[in-house]
Amino acid sequence: METMSRDVAAMSGYGASSAAAGPTMHQWSPYVMNSGTVMAICGKDFAVIAGDTRMSVGYQIQSRNVGKLLKVTDKAVLGTGGHCQADTLNLQKLLRARMVQYEHQNGKTPKTSAVAQLVSQMLYGRRFFPLLTKNIVAGLDEDGVGCVYTFDVVGCLERVRVACDGSAEELIQPVLDNLLERQHQQDKPKPPPLHVDLSREDVVNIVKDAFTSAGERDITTGDHVDIWVIDASGVHQEKFDLKYD
Amino acid sequence: MFMTRSEYDRGVNTFSPEGRLFQVEYAIEAIKLGSTVVGVRTNEGVVLAVEKRISSPLLEPASVEKIAEVDSHIGVAMSGLTADARTLVEHARTEAQYHRFAFNEPMLAEALTQSICDLALGFGETDEASMSRPFGVSLLIAAWDEHGPQLFHTDPSGTSSRYDAKAIGSASEGAQTALQEAYKKDMTLGQAEALAVATLKQVMEEKISDTNISVSSVTLPEADAPEPLKFACHYVPGSARQPVFHIYTTAEVKAIMDRLTA
Repeated sequence: METMSRDVAAMSGYGASSAAAGPTMHQWSPYVMNSGTVMAICGKDFAVIAGDTRMSVGYQIQSRNVGKLLKVTDKAVLGTGGHCQADTLNLQKLLRARMVQYEHQNGKTPKTSAVAQLVSQMLYGRRFFPLLTKNIVAGLDEDGVGCVYTFDVVGCLERVRVACDGSAEELIQPVLDNLLERQHQQDKPKPPPLHVDLSREDVVNIVKDAFTSAGERDITTGDHVDIWVIDASGVHQEKFDLKYD
Repeated sequence: MFMTRSEYDRGVNTFSPEGRLFQVEYAIEAIKLGSTVVGVRTNEGVVLAVEKRISSPLLEPASVEKIAEVDSHIGVAMSGLTADARTLVEHARTEAQYHRFAFNEPMLAEALTQSICDLALGFGETDEASMSRPFGVSLLIAAWDEHGPQLFHTDPSGTSSRYDAKAIGSASEGAQTALQEAYKKDMTLGQAEALAVATLKQVMEEKISDTNISVSSVTLPEADAPEPLKFACHYVPGSARQPVFHIYTTAEVKAIMDRLTA
């Protein structure tokens, strides 16, 4: 305790030992940040969603093999990054239950747009005590075109071509903007409205490069990357190794 | 002495020794007193036609509402205690809107029918909100969803079935026979309108007119070509062609009747 600064002692909830230090503020946070990164890119007839498998608290690695992706239907995958693992597990369990309910009530598997809308509702339902989860839903829409939906923590949703969320968002998003979106490059062709104009192989390679780069600087992104490709035949899962450190 | 029918027809949730729920059976009887309703399904749409009993020449016919819109793609026609139907319709409207809210898509007809039946069967439960007796009303539900045009029937027992053509109400027996004879799978919407109105004309006690019946349909109209999409965030799920439920104006009803006599 002697080596701990007063601020740290106060924040950790143990309280300061010195009476001379004056009043001590105790605080407790309902959130733990387990960090990590997810990203998704959609193409003409496929979508790629990826998330690293490191789970950390501060400078400590809790696990090297905790996935961030959940297969919701054959055509929709939920990815959660920049998160509190407990909140993620709760969201995933609830979503799975709601999907089963939907299938029983409606006699069909929900479309990816319906999954995205439901996720939005579930997040907004916690408007005043939000789940610490940054979510992406990727999959195929009802026309078989790849789609990606992004959410903020309270459920505001938007359909986009590429998305990245979590601890390495600031490292990866500009690269995606440069390679895929090109919205501010006067001499470059723009992608079509619903999806990027690259092949599946190119997109998977960009995802691998993005995560490798992020792992170089972001200490909470590492170990492995789950790369899931969703196409008409289902969800194809691949694991790509990052560095162990 | 306990075997008489009257011993077991008091409580709504007491079976008779023969395994019958008399109050539910009486509620089904109530529909046989109601005005006649006819529904016809075709590949081009579903038609609902109802008889309105104009009990007094001073009654404003437009105030007799026996067809109600549940959502833009679903409508219902009712027979029996129509006041009870309002509770069911209100419930159905809420469910349909909730489905759009939660899933950003129109509700399936079968799911909506099932939710109406859930409420219809919820009578006699102890909580304040539920109905103390069975709903004395039967509904024909016309809808167009991703499975195409459909016609459903519900009754006070909470049972639902899907039909090509169905008649309910006081003259339902005669009307159902007429429908069975004349119905064809490949009818056009115009032929279905004519069949529904002709069937009513045949079974109604009063002389049919353009004010003492009400007609409606759900169809899938042609849509304008959509504007080219510029951004993914502007994308709206579902096709540009949206089904429409429409209650006919007096002029539109008159046009069908003129086709019948021509």
